[in-house]
Amino acid sequence: MTWQTDLPVAMCQPQGWLDRNVPAEPAEPSRPRPVTAAGWQTGARSWLGNGTPRRLRWPGWPVGLTLAWAGLLVLSLARLETPAAEGDAPSAIAGDGLAAHAFTALGSPAQRKVNVEWNRFYDSAGLATILRRLHEAFPQLTRLYALGQSVQGRPLWCLEVTAPQGPCPAARKPGVLAVANIHGNEVQGGEAIAYTAWYLCHQYGQLPAVTELLDHYVFYLVPTINPDSRDYWLQQPGTPSNRRSGVAPVDDDHDGLLDEDDVDDLDGDGAITQMRIKDPFGRWKPHPEFPEFLMVQVPPDQLGEYTLLGSEGLDNDGDGRVNEDPVGGYDMNRNWGWDWQPDFVQHGAHEYPFSLPETRAVAEFALAHPNLAAFISFHNAGGMILRGPGREGGMMQPADDRLLQFIATQGQKILPFYRSMLLWKELYTVWGGELDWFYGTRGVLSFVNEIWSRRSVDKGPTPPSPETEATFLKHVLLGQGLVPWHPFNHPTYGLIEIGGTRKEWGRTPVSFLLEEECHRNMAFLLYFASQMPRLRVPEPVIESLGPGLFKVSVTVENLRLIPTRTAQDVQNRISPPDIISLTGPDLQVVSSGRVTDRFFKRVEPVKRRPERVEVDAIPGTGQVQVQFIVRGRGQYTIRVDSAKGGLFERTGQLP
Amino acid sequence: MATGGEYLSNPVLGTRLQSLVNQNPELARVSRLTQSPGSNEVWLVELGQGTETDRASRPALLVVAGIEGNDLAGTASVVAWLEQLCQEQSTNDTIRKLLQRVTIYALPRVNPDAAEAFFAKPKAESAVNSRPVDDDRDGLIDEDGPEDLNGDGLITWMRVNDPEGEYILDPAEPRLLVRADRAKGQAGAWRLLTEGRDNDGDMAWNEDGPGGVNLNRNFPFNYRFFAPEAGRYQVCEPESRALADFVVKHPNIAAAFSFGIADNLTQTPKAEPPKRPPVALHEQDADYYRELGKAWRLALGLTKELSGQTAPGTFSDWMYFHRGRLSLAARAWSPALAVAMAQSQTNTASTTNDSAAGPSPALPSASEPAPKPKASRPAPEPDKPDTASEEERAFLKWADAHAPELFVQWQPIQHPDFPGQRVEVGGWAPFAKTNPPEKLLADLAKRHAKFLTDLASRLPQIELGSIKVKDLRDGVFDVTLTIRNTGYLPTALAQGEFSQQVPPTRVTLLLDDKAILAGTKRVMLGPIAGSGGSKEVRWVILAPDRQRVEVEVVSALAGTIRTHIELKDTSQP
Repeated sequence: MTWQTDLPVAMCQPQGWLDRNVPAEPAEPSRPRPVTAAGWQTGARSWLGNGTPRRLRWPGWPVGLTLAWAGLLVLSLARLETPAAEGDAPSAIAGDGLAAHAFTALGSPAQRKVNVEWNRFYDSAGLATILRRLHEAFPQLTRLYALGQSVQGRPLWCLEVTAPQGPCPAARKPGVLAVANIHGNEVQGGEAIAYTAWYLCHQYGQLPAVTELLDHYVFYLVPTINPDSRDYWLQQPGTPSNRRSGVAPVDDDHDGLLDEDDVDDLDGDGAITQMRIKDPFGRWKPHPEFPEFLMVQVPPDQLGEYTLLGSEGLDNDGDGRVNEDPVGGYDMNRNWGWDWQPDFVQHGAHEYPFSLPETRAVAEFALAHPNLAAFISFHNAGGMILRGPGREGGMMQPADDRLLQFIATQGQKILPFYRSMLLWKELYTVWGGELDWFYGTRGVLSFVNEIWSRRSVDKGPTPPSPETEATFLKHVLLGQGLVPWHPFNHPTYGLIEIGGTRKEWGRTPVSFLLEEECHRNMAFLLYFASQMPRLRVPEPVIESLGPGLFKVSVTVENLRLIPTRTAQDVQNRISPPDIISLTGPDLQVVSSGRVTDRFFKRVEPVKRRPERVEVDAIPGTGQVQVQFIVRGRGQYTIRVDSAKGGLFERTGQLP
Repeated sequence: MATGGEYLSNPVLGTRLQSLVNQNPELARVSRLTQSPGSNEVWLVELGQGTETDRASRPALLVVAGIEGNDLAGTASVVAWLEQLCQEQSTNDTIRKLLQRVTIYALPRVNPDAAEAFFAKPKAESAVNSRPVDDDRDGLIDEDGPEDLNGDGLITWMRVNDPEGEYILDPAEPRLLVRADRAKGQAGAWRLLTEGRDNDGDMAWNEDGPGGVNLNRNFPFNYRFFAPEAGRYQVCEPESRALADFVVKHPNIAAAFSFGIADNLTQTPKAEPPKRPPVALHEQDADYYRELGKAWRLALGLTKELSGQTAPGTFSDWMYFHRGRLSLAARAWSPALAVAMAQSQTNTASTTNDSAAGPSPALPSASEPAPKPKASRPAPEPDKPDTASEEERAFLKWADAHAPELFVQWQPIQHPDFPGQRVEVGGWAPFAKTNPPEKLLADLAKRHAKFLTDLASRLPQIELGSIKVKDLRDGVFDVTLTIRNTGYLPTALAQGEFSQQVPPTRVTLLLDDKAILAGTKRVMLGPIAGSGGSKEVRWVILAPDRQRVEVEVVSALAGTIRTHIELKDTSQP
């Protein structure tokens, strides 16, 4: 007997599945066979197995018939899958949970104290929950606090991750600030940063590279700096590009009303798609290969079929325009102080630099953390590793630019399909962006990653054609994300059609590639962080110059690429100079100086306070040598105090 | 009632403003805009009849003083002017009518922290608020301020006889110092420093004193990061932020006037075609600036232009270039002004006509580096060869005659930082070059008041012009409405339009869309010229059941009109 009956079984069972599970009997037409108790027993036996005790056999045939139908109903609803075989009861499946039976694939932690599915997006509360769980699971490695609040009062959560030990105190370790989602619709950076927090916490002590990173550096991880619009984008119907702005109201169309004409979900399907209207003079027609959802332009000498009307919406304020004054109307990545220009020069700049609580909170945090030596911000989309300046002629010292280019080139190896690009020249001009402020005013090397390249769709050498993308949507996503064109009666346009793709298609990764983007962008961030200054003070060389008089040669090495102060920092005296000092309870420094040539022994003497030598910076993959002429005896302490390199001490005894 | 003849300490300022409100409760309001880092109040005064909503819907003039921390004369003038206005509005019909159609917003002292230095002992000239700032970027904060070495209660200057110095004694006036010109064979012999010791031993004197940020360098136009006294970023201080937020929340501000170092009235700046980003006065706004400059000079009794100037990050520049409003700025007083006013009082015949003014300098462009002051605080004015020395000599002569206390005679002292070297303390007293002797304040305030009242009367004002209705029968009417600007200024300056900061004048016909056969319910009008400029709006409507239809005209800077149109043919008697 087959299960294919007139009963209200769940729809859409694939044909082949049922065929596979039916015991070896001839296929039945889709009509119930007349059932007798005996027949039922036969069927039951074949289902339940040969060893069924007699007491389970049905009593009599009328009752049996009724019970048989009831049984059919129950069994069909239960949709049992396993074929009839001995010893196959579900209780044989392990009941101690999945974790005990899971094994590592390379690239993720073996043990998971905090479980997160990395193939989906989380709103601001979701991201906050992830950070909170990590903090509770790893209290020694983390601190959790808010940088400030958004317009609507959502906290900007930061998980600070570093080891409690290390060569210098946690607050003095070189720090990297990673933020994401300054544009509300550019959500996947949030997951990337949460993933970074998760990975670092779990891999500390497990993976030497991570242990080293957290011993030497501090990570400030802020998954979203625009939580208001992030939540709006995720929770409400939208397009891939709307909700870029924050939510403070702006009168975009100068009609005296604020935010009065946004998109509308006309057909109530939870998506904002496109509107089109049949129009023989329109320039569009359905694509011959993918007519349900793809459109193609007609040549100029032909009549078309449709005119495209834009995103779903109404003329809410009766001014003859649709969706022209949505919520917000500014761009928080144009609200930063360096090279800030007002709205008529740079659209979206808002009233004045840091006029918005979110940007101001991040800037104040940066100003309060002089140990910041690296900055990265995650955006979407396009597969780019961007460096400043944001405008032609903007500030960028050549030595610093060389460092950025080197790191970005390494990034291209970590992030296939991503290109290292110069913002103003290879993308577009940005006045008042994050990159310029962090570099210009803080002298901090900075990157913006635009996460998700379309080439990920077919992994081809060039961006995929619309047909290639359509194939992906249809056969890899099984149509998820497509909204087929359907008619709608619009109050202004009349009979139109609504359809297209959902907001999750285009700028955000698909679920099974989202974890890859998280990991690879994290890997770039970790590489960048690993190049922050790594100072080391080897044993000084002490030479006796006479009784009680010594020459102490101190070397400070920087084992990594980024100097303790960038050229921008040095030129504008952003941080104080690095100070190398030598003190002791029973000694006096008579003279000191920086050794400018260690072979020819040239020393640049210090004019006053010889016990402390100020140097501009410890160069990247380089060293600085300082010489102290000391009179005295006993214990000495060498101290290296670098705002972005760290605070190190080394003690010893004069011979 | 005092007549503006005294410098006001913070408590006295508070008391005076409170009296103003007590005596004019219908007209005047005083509130605290914010508090400074030194915990002083920043007061906001509003003059205008009616409720806050009424005042916010009228064209407004914003007057700002004491934003340059060392400007106390401006504060005295503004307070005197406000008191005068309140007094006059009960006796003078013109003033009463003026205060019914415009609103006055005034901030008499944006930087109350710095003003305390004027009354402190020792008296030191300061332009900054009390925010601790590492001025010399050496990792230490406020570690090297001035000291009163000669005990005269004033922080003046020191000159040190030193062959490595860059100055020589002015041959024409040895009390003054001028830079040695090596090309002329002049060897430097003196160092010029502010009075004090090198507290942090870095061979710089008084380079990191208490404070602070100069709020008039803290605004976004032409802002200079890393410049001394500019702050960590634009609008970072509570005073400047509160002022900026006030401007943003009061889009009815049609014009602004500020006292400070910037001056575009004593001399009209050069105008150019507009650029993005903007760099110069918009060429189509130049005529207004020129005329108002003339009015200013007339009020002061000047017969010709003196030199104007600006600085990076001033409030007045931000108000014009970024907010698109008419923004006038002037020094309350200056040495050149003192000399010129004294001259024009003694010379009855003027030698130069005001209309043949000399060439105006362009505003400093964004690519020019900020001038580095040699002495610490306050920065001496940028040197121009010879002219600066001439001006200084003329001013010293004036001071000798009118206010000898402004220049302290050089006296030798023993200075521990310069053992064995001749060091003299003296020179210009604090505030000598920025604020007049108190006895001159009353007259100055009268002149300022004359100009400010004149300026308030020049704000744009829209009024209903003519209404023409043609009855086309069957309930169809052809309606034409004329809106006229009876004010002097246009409803938007060229920069207002260019910066998109002044929204268009909005005319709304309060009628269903369906009833409008031709035209739109809402019409946006471009700027309406001043002095009687007008624009027309026309509709054809179908309104068989109505006798009248309401219309509303909202101008951002020029007020609001709410009226109705009678649907009767106007061509018939």
